[in-house]
Amino acid sequence: MAGVWARRLRAAMWHRALLLALAGFGFQGLYFHIGETEKRCFIEEIPDETMVIGNYRTQLWDKQTETFLPSTPGLGMHVEVKDPDGKVVLSRQYGSEGRFTFTSHTPGDHQICLHSNSTRMTIFAGGKLRVHLDIQVGEHTNNYPEIAAKDKLTELQLRARQLLDQVEQIQKEQNYQRYREERFRMTSESTNQRVLWWSIAQTVILILTGIWQMRHLKSFFEAKKLV
Amino acid sequence: MDEPGVWIPFSLLLAAGPLALLPPAVSGFSPSLDSDFTITLPAGLKECFYQPMPLKATLEIEYQVLDGAGLDIDFHLASPEGKTIVFEQRKSDGVHSVETEAGDYMFCFDNTFSTISEKVIFFELILDNMGEQEQEQEDWKKYVTGTDMLDMKLEDILESINSIKSRLSKSGHIQTMLRAFEARDRNIQESNFDRVNFWSMVNLGVMVVVSAIQVYMLKSLFEDKRKNRT
Repeated sequence: MAGVWARRLRAAMWHRALLLALAGFGFQGLYFHIGETEKRCFIEEIPDETMVIGNYRTQLWDKQTETFLPSTPGLGMHVEVKDPDGKVVLSRQYGSEGRFTFTSHTPGDHQICLHSNSTRMTIFAGGKLRVHLDIQVGEHTNNYPEIAAKDKLTELQLRARQLLDQVEQIQKEQNYQRYREERFRMTSESTNQRVLWWSIAQTVILILTGIWQMRHLKSFFEAKKLV
Repeated sequence: MDEPGVWIPFSLLLAAGPLALLPPAVSGFSPSLDSDFTITLPAGLKECFYQPMPLKATLEIEYQVLDGAGLDIDFHLASPEGKTIVFEQRKSDGVHSVETEAGDYMFCFDNTFSTISEKVIFFELILDNMGEQEQEQEDWKKYVTGTDMLDMKLEDILESINSIKSRLSKSGHIQTMLRAFEARDRNIQESNFDRVNFWSMVNLGVMVVVSAIQVYMLKSLFEDKRKNRT
């Protein structure tokens, strides 16, 4: 486990990919394939007042050239986000390349679902759609170049601001963790209590049923003049 | 100082001059090198994800099953040529690290062995040594205004800031792991709770029904004999 953390420390230092210079070459991130009617859902468990930004890019399989086309106009994705209580927070259609944002108001599991909205069935026709997806949560959503420009910060001030945001996010997550642990403890204690009370109640019911059976049968036999 | 690592970005920046003036939102997005996702996998389905990798980088995948009867899943990792690197069956968590070749690595979670239970799977990708896509620190010099007047050298301060930042990232990572473990334990407990409730009710029903049947059967035995006598 220690080796894993050492590697993560190095990984954390090589954090950000080159933002702008690579924009033209297209990024290389996680992708998956989705069918026409398929829906893919991702769950983000986040504290409250946390911003989530998702970026996606789609590519359609071209049967003639047997490759994925770089971009497909006219083909969009429908994004639906539900909060922990099941209420829909965001339900919107985006183009073949899009960016969706939402901020959580209750802590818990938020579900982000994506499915394609292709109206022309011939576009898919047995092919598949490749979706590149990236979801950023909390402090990672901050756009520091923009913040530097807006607040006119020097480099040190900008770095201090970034550290403060990072710490704030960790603190929020810790608070949420405390709330979850409390719920967890309550469920465990309630389960334990129920097991105990039910065992006692079961024993009492069995004894009472036994006594009632004996008495009832005895009076029945006496009524039928068998004893 | 990693000379090529610094100069390649600058030359690419010059090449993409006009693009550099656009805000990042307009010019497409570059995903971060560490990402985690939590997915729901319905019963009987298999879902695959792909990660493009350059040569001689390191790909580390860590996954955990958070919810769903049995808390197990099949995991499959394949190289860009289609060769199977890892194939695990019915595991509840796992960590795998590969030294990569250039191409798209595919990893799949397979829930086909389960007929009714939907699984919730948390997985994390950590990418190392990604080559010219890396930068030692964000190049914010062009976005800041003004200069800092200090006694200390700016470089020393920046170094300690970098160190703080990486330690905080590590804390964030540990928090994510703890969150996954806790979510799994919580789901186990909640399903225990439901099970205790359900089986207690069933138990009560069975006891009442059995005692009523016993009494009724005994009574009916004697009533028949009475009828036979007369």
